[in-house]
Amino acid sequence: MSNGVPEIEDAKCLFIFGYNAADSHPIVARRIIKAKEKGAKIIVTDPRRTEAARIADLWLPIKNGTNMALVNAFANVLITEDLFDKDYVAKYTEGFDAYKEIVLRYTPEHAEAITGVPAADIRKAMRIYAGSPTSFILWGMGVTQYGQAVDVVKGLSGLALMTGNFGKPSVGCGPVRGQNNVQGTCDVGCLPNVYPGYQSVTDDKVREKFEKAWGVPLSPKAGVTMTMVPHLAQEGKIKAFYVFGEDPVQSDPDAGHMRHTLDHLDLVVVQDIFFNKTSMHAHVVLPATAWGEHEGVYSTCDRGFQHFNKAVEPKGDVKPDWEIISLVATRMGYPMHYDNTEEIWNEMIALCPKYAGATYEMLDKYGSIQWPCPTVGHPGTPYLFSGNKFNTPSTKGNLFAAEWRPPKELPDEEYPLVLSTVREVSHYSVRTMTGNCAGLQSVADEPGYIQMSVADAEAMDLEENELVWISSRRGKVMARIMPSERINKGTVYMTYHWWVGSCNELTIDNLDPVSKTPEYKFCAAKVEKVADQAWAEQYVKDEYARLRARMGCQTAAPAAAAEAAANAN
Amino acid sequence: MAKKVLTVCPYCGAGCRLYLLVEDGKVVGAEGAPGRTNEGTLCLKGRYGWDYLNDTQRLTKRLTQPLLRDKSGELAGVSWDEAIGFVADRLTAIKKKHGPDAILCTGSARGPGNEANYVMQKFTRAVIGTNNIDHCARV
Ligand code: SF4
Ligand code: SF4
Repeated sequence: MSNGVPEIEDAKCLFIFGYNAADSHPIVARRIIKAKEKGAKIIVTDPRRTEAARIADLWLPIKNGTNMALVNAFANVLITEDLFDKDYVAKYTEGFDAYKEIVLRYTPEHAEAITGVPAADIRKAMRIYAGSPTSFILWGMGVTQYGQAVDVVKGLSGLALMTGNFGKPSVGCGPVRGQNNVQGTCDVGCLPNVYPGYQSVTDDKVREKFEKAWGVPLSPKAGVTMTMVPHLAQEGKIKAFYVFGEDPVQSDPDAGHMRHTLDHLDLVVVQDIFFNKTSMHAHVVLPATAWGEHEGVYSTCDRGFQHFNKAVEPKGDVKPDWEIISLVATRMGYPMHYDNTEEIWNEMIALCPKYAGATYEMLDKYGSIQWPCPTVGHPGTPYLFSGNKFNTPSTKGNLFAAEWRPPKELPDEEYPLVLSTVREVSHYSVRTMTGNCAGLQSVADEPGYIQMSVADAEAMDLEENELVWISSRRGKVMARIMPSERINKGTVYMTYHWWVGSCNELTIDNLDPVSKTPEYKFCAAKVEKVADQAWAEQYVKDEYARLRARMGCQTAAPAAAAEAAANAN
Repeated sequence: MAKKVLTVCPYCGAGCRLYLLVEDGKVVGAEGAPGRTNEGTLCLKGRYGWDYLNDTQRLTKRLTQPLLRDKSGELAGVSWDEAIGFVADRLTAIKKKHGPDAILCTGSARGPGNEANYVMQKFTRAVIGTNNIDHCARV
């Protein structure tokens, strides 16, 4: 995020796009409510009537898969109604002419035909956004998990540039991400094109610095993304996959294809804390310590480094992740040894000018330091782009627009519904952590739910909690129907935490050409009634037991265990 | 008396700070700490998410030792020395035969932390010799 989470509550306008804070980040949602209490105008674009949509001044219920058309129309209104900041655009941005040429084609009326959002509301939204002294854009997975994700992100940033909403408090853009440490993983260079501190692997000077620090020559060629693994494995280009703290069989699109891929690799190494679905395909499994059993630094979604501590000793013969990797490195002939995480951290910040001052001592002193933090004693940087200098060679912000591309797989006669994946408030990602917590387990249980509009459920004669088959061209799973007034007709939503009702058996791996993000938010599906519900209930139980047994869990099923625990108290 | 350990919630990017309450080497509870983003508050996940540390086996098993496929194809417990040796030998052989770009490693956007991820990308780049390192930012 260009600006910090606490700044949200002082923005005069919050423009929330495809982001369901109440379910994804309750603490961010709290800031949104505070902003509202302080008089902020709230505009929400989401096909579902989310919590934020309920409190919004303006809700734009967009058709799934049409984000780019709407964003272009927003820019169109800024130009045609003369709402943009001409002085700011002239001084601090570039690319206006090409931008204008594309967005002028997206009149609000044209966009209404594509997106279903009334032209008058598109205009109204921009009048509020541009008319407010500070406007903050928040977006989430509703933007990034489409085949056309990067274009939309650039388009949203363009709106902030056009209106001068950068370089001061309570403005800018915030992608609010799912996983707790996605920001940190990027910050330290777990990306195929950059070293720690976002320093390019193709920049000769940068590469020389890292070659010197690490004492070996390094590859000048950017690597490939994780979502490319199935394709590259099929072509014989990837032979080994070292999977660290992830569960691609559960979390990546088209699970069947991923399993097939793993079974054909020469080597699959899994390093994790729990036995997960991917480990069933591993040649070797390395057990690591978990949160609570080790220390380190995480990054918040708004670039804040925070030191976390160890609370308890690990049980069993497990090791911290960094130690395991160091042992493998040493055995491969590259001696690597660290005594503790602080030693690692110091090695890294010495190589990254942006992080140089964020020592453990300073982190403990300030509690949280938002990079850039160039010197020891520097308190960090709550908002980026001060002085309106951007991360481009010219330091000017890039205005960017692209034509709208429809999603790859549209509904048809055979698969008449749109399937979109979402997250649920109590379960975190692939659930190996929260699924093992008694307090959370009771909130929602297998096989998981399909959220469907009341109209669709009635038309199909489906009751709440009824088990149904849901299928796509890639697979078929069972889940429960949850009709809801908040859901738009023609689209069903599933969360990706479930094992029996695992939605990634169904999703498509159409990737964004730049970010390589899979299109989790859109594929064609159908729902079928199951006449014999007693049989279906038994099927779910059997499937769940079978999966658990395969993962080596022999204890009583969770519901029974929770009951036993409750009785014992 | 429970000991309070100041830490950071691992369940989402809001990064709420919290105290873990530890008694006899076991986590028994959590409470909000004054953090920049959360100012003492926590959501459901932060408040109750620590329970898995006590290995309830409600869903899956905590891993407690290295596992390696044996001759019959089953994963069986082995020593660290054997497991590390296996990984190192196989990676070295694959690198030699197919080149470093035939190997891809992931970082982890969940519990391990920035230091472990730094070490993983260093391993990928300096030891394997490829930039094929990625994580689930896309997910
Ligand atoms: S399992 Fe979690 S960490 Fe792994 S890819 Fe999926 S969402 Fe990311
Ligand atoms: S307490 Fe809730 S909002 Fe805070 S970091 Fe944890 S999961 Fe996120």
